[in-house]
Amino acid sequence: MSFVRIQGVSKSYNHTRVLNNVSLSIEEGEFITLLGPSGCGKSTLLRAIAGLNPIDEGKIEVGGKDITHMPPKKRNVGMVFQSYALFPNMTVFDNIAFGLKMEGLRKDGIRPLVEEMLNLIDLKGKEDRYPSQLSGGQQQRVALARSLVKKPTVLLLDEPLSALDAKIRRTLRGEIRHIQRRLGMTTIFVTHDQEEALTVSDRIFVMKQGEIEQAGTPNEIYTSPASEYVARFIGNYNVWSRSQLQGRPIRGIPDQGNMFAVRPEAIRMAVSGAEDEANEITAEGTVSIVSVLGNVLRFEVDVTGLPVTVDMLSGQSIDHLRAGTAVRLSIPRGEWKSIQPSS
Amino acid sequence: MAGRSSSRHQVTLLLLLLPFFLWLFAFLLLPGILMLVSSFQNEGGQGFTLGQYVKGLTHPLYTGAIRNSVLLSLVSAFVGLVAAAFAAYSFTTFSPKTRDRMLSLSNMMTNFAGVPLAFGFIILFGTNGMLTLLFKQLGLSFLAFDLYSWKGLAWVYIYFQIPVGILLIYPSLFAIRQEWREAASLLGAGTVQFWLRIGVPVLLPGLVGTFSVLFANAMGAYATAYALVTSNFNLLPIKIGGLVSGDVFPRVELGSALAVILFVILAIALFINEKMLRLARRGLSHDSR
Amino acid sequence: MTPVNERRPAGSRIWHAAVAAAVLVFLLLPLLVTFLFSISTEWEDTILPQGYTFDSYIRLFGDERFLYALGRSFLVASMTVAFSLLIMVPTVFVVALYVPRLEKWLQTVVLVPFALPGVVAAVGLIKLYSAPPFAISGTIWILIGAYFILVLPYVYQSTRNSLRAVNAAELMEAAEVLGASKTAAFIRVILPNIMPGVIVASLLSFSIVFGEFVLANMLVGGSFEVVQVYLYHMMGVDGRLSSATIVTFFALVLVLYAFVLKIGNRKPRAGTPSVQGKEETV
Repeated sequence: MSFVRIQGVSKSYNHTRVLNNVSLSIEEGEFITLLGPSGCGKSTLLRAIAGLNPIDEGKIEVGGKDITHMPPKKRNVGMVFQSYALFPNMTVFDNIAFGLKMEGLRKDGIRPLVEEMLNLIDLKGKEDRYPSQLSGGQQQRVALARSLVKKPTVLLLDEPLSALDAKIRRTLRGEIRHIQRRLGMTTIFVTHDQEEALTVSDRIFVMKQGEIEQAGTPNEIYTSPASEYVARFIGNYNVWSRSQLQGRPIRGIPDQGNMFAVRPEAIRMAVSGAEDEANEITAEGTVSIVSVLGNVLRFEVDVTGLPVTVDMLSGQSIDHLRAGTAVRLSIPRGEWKSIQPSS
Repeated sequence: MAGRSSSRHQVTLLLLLLPFFLWLFAFLLLPGILMLVSSFQNEGGQGFTLGQYVKGLTHPLYTGAIRNSVLLSLVSAFVGLVAAAFAAYSFTTFSPKTRDRMLSLSNMMTNFAGVPLAFGFIILFGTNGMLTLLFKQLGLSFLAFDLYSWKGLAWVYIYFQIPVGILLIYPSLFAIRQEWREAASLLGAGTVQFWLRIGVPVLLPGLVGTFSVLFANAMGAYATAYALVTSNFNLLPIKIGGLVSGDVFPRVELGSALAVILFVILAIALFINEKMLRLARRGLSHDSR
Repeated sequence: MTPVNERRPAGSRIWHAAVAAAVLVFLLLPLLVTFLFSISTEWEDTILPQGYTFDSYIRLFGDERFLYALGRSFLVASMTVAFSLLIMVPTVFVVALYVPRLEKWLQTVVLVPFALPGVVAAVGLIKLYSAPPFAISGTIWILIGAYFILVLPYVYQSTRNSLRAVNAAELMEAAEVLGASKTAAFIRVILPNIMPGVIVASLLSFSIVFGEFVLANMLVGGSFEVVQVYLYHMMGVDGRLSSATIVTFFALVLVLYAFVLKIGNRKPRAGTPSVQGKEETV
């Protein structure tokens, strides 16, 4: 039986449905991500699990216990907020100790637990600082320690990295993942950043307008988006409808499906003239723009007016592909994904 | 279960707000209603009549008081505002530390009002006042004035308007950025042109708003004039005070009607201020976009 | 924004210094001459006093009537501030976080005292409270009742701003998730963080109540004589004592403002950087 079970949860706010009959289950020790643009309901769902937003319908179970109607203080979940929400009047030590004090733990029982946490987040020696004396990244680590010290059943992370610089964001997300693995902490992470979601999660739930659009491992989500919405949200997918493709020099389009998605790096590109192969979709075009994205070159190829994005690893072997070069594109049939169009 | 706990939650909230509501009722709402009721009664507190308002708005004694008060408030608000705007802008040009010191000194002087103010002005400008004598000795008698005249009273009012004006106008003046002046001067605008075309238009809502608060401030002022010389000045607040707690025989109903009239004038002035503040805020947020 | 000064031409700097100095001197002049008068021996028809003495202060603090008035002013100001904080801080907190639909209404209500000068407020209060069943006119209670309303805008504004500045809603949530009850979260987390703002509001309110004359004179007058009413009666009787009273009053105001300045300048510990465009506030 799953560790966290969310069954048919709905929530309306000012007559708008922000969560519509959402169900999902999470295994113990799993790191899952709720991914979606702002307003898709991901934070609302997270706050419902914390007990901060009461829900209209449905049931939330954690560790076999029904917590749907419990007040937040009784749920024993850990939560990290986007703006850290550290208590400005308390030192790092007191911030981390707060939850234990609320439990009624004695001072001598608190100290070792807090020190263990300080070690875990690598902030030993800073326990007497106030939050305002720390950097953003350090503050967020304190927030993390504060929510972990009580050994919560579930850790909830509400866009914990989005207030930080790109570089610190990358380091910290690695650290969070590392700590999570070490403690085997069941974790629900909310973000609107697909790259972040793909890097850290065991499983991703892509959300759209209060519903779960697709669930799967990062690899599944990335290589097989189920819908136009997911394909567009997840990255630089080429997304075409059948009508867009008709009348263009493209051969081998399968008969099934009306909407298709192809990853830019799945397309092979060569100077025109090669032979077609049986299990490929092929097209003729002209390179219009070349841009360098680190180790990848990104080509915009014009197929009689239809733009196609192609990514190739940088290297001398593709130096001859420049703007204006006539090229032949080939896509293995397995990379040509038929997807659900979004209304 | 959710329903029960949330309704208990509602009751707790209500209980927490109850003391405030009770206090508001006892010392604001109920007295206000009683004043309003009383203003529609005849002398002795009986019946229903518009007579008190008719008297307040037609009898020369009271129309005179209203006119004097409005005039004095307009003049003192205008002069006070101009002086405050100049002073506040000069404050903004100093280093943050000096600026804050100046500002808190000026803010502190808002407390120098009412009876202490009247006393201070008597020592300065009274018949044997320090400055009156100084001006006489320097042969500058034309500078001296009779403190107990309208002109003298106007000076006292202007005095207490200035620190209040500085307090109110300062935030909006602070929004005038040095960068704007530099940009304007690069485009060929001089100081006068800058203020005429950029400074004053940007500040206008703030200036109008501050003016209406200062106007209200003077309209309601009672203590200074009362302490200066009790019944020499025919001003609206002095009249109300006399009618309500007069030594001879109080006429609470007429006093109530005049108080309602004063309240309405002040409410209009402050309503204008609210509108102007909103306008200024919108203007500023527009700039920053 | 800091180096504004260096960027200005010298002429403009002199002009601004002159304007600021002129206005500040004008504002301070009446207070300074009042002080001069209070320490003068004889000052009839000369520009400056003929001699100096602290005699009037010795007399003032030997005057039982003054000391009683001072004590009453302290009492009424402290009690007003105490009631105001005790009632308003929870009210503003509850409305801001849990009954937001009352917020707009509350904002309007707390502005009403600005349109309500002492004379106007006194009319209804006298009418209501000078006859039974609530004959509290002439007692300290009517003053505290009225002063509570008088300081309402300041206490409200200050508390509301502090709650906003520390992001009270989220601090409450964080504390609750960590196992604190609402009451515990309010006392241990919210209250300590809004304290500076609340103290500033108290000091300002204290000075406002201490300097109030109209209501004190009309509602209680001689039956509960406070400093301002004492001063008014003294004015025609003894100028030296009056001026010493004013200087004493202002010394107190000075101390209160020094505290306000000190609290305002203290480095705010509130370290939560403002997060813009906070998503999904639902």
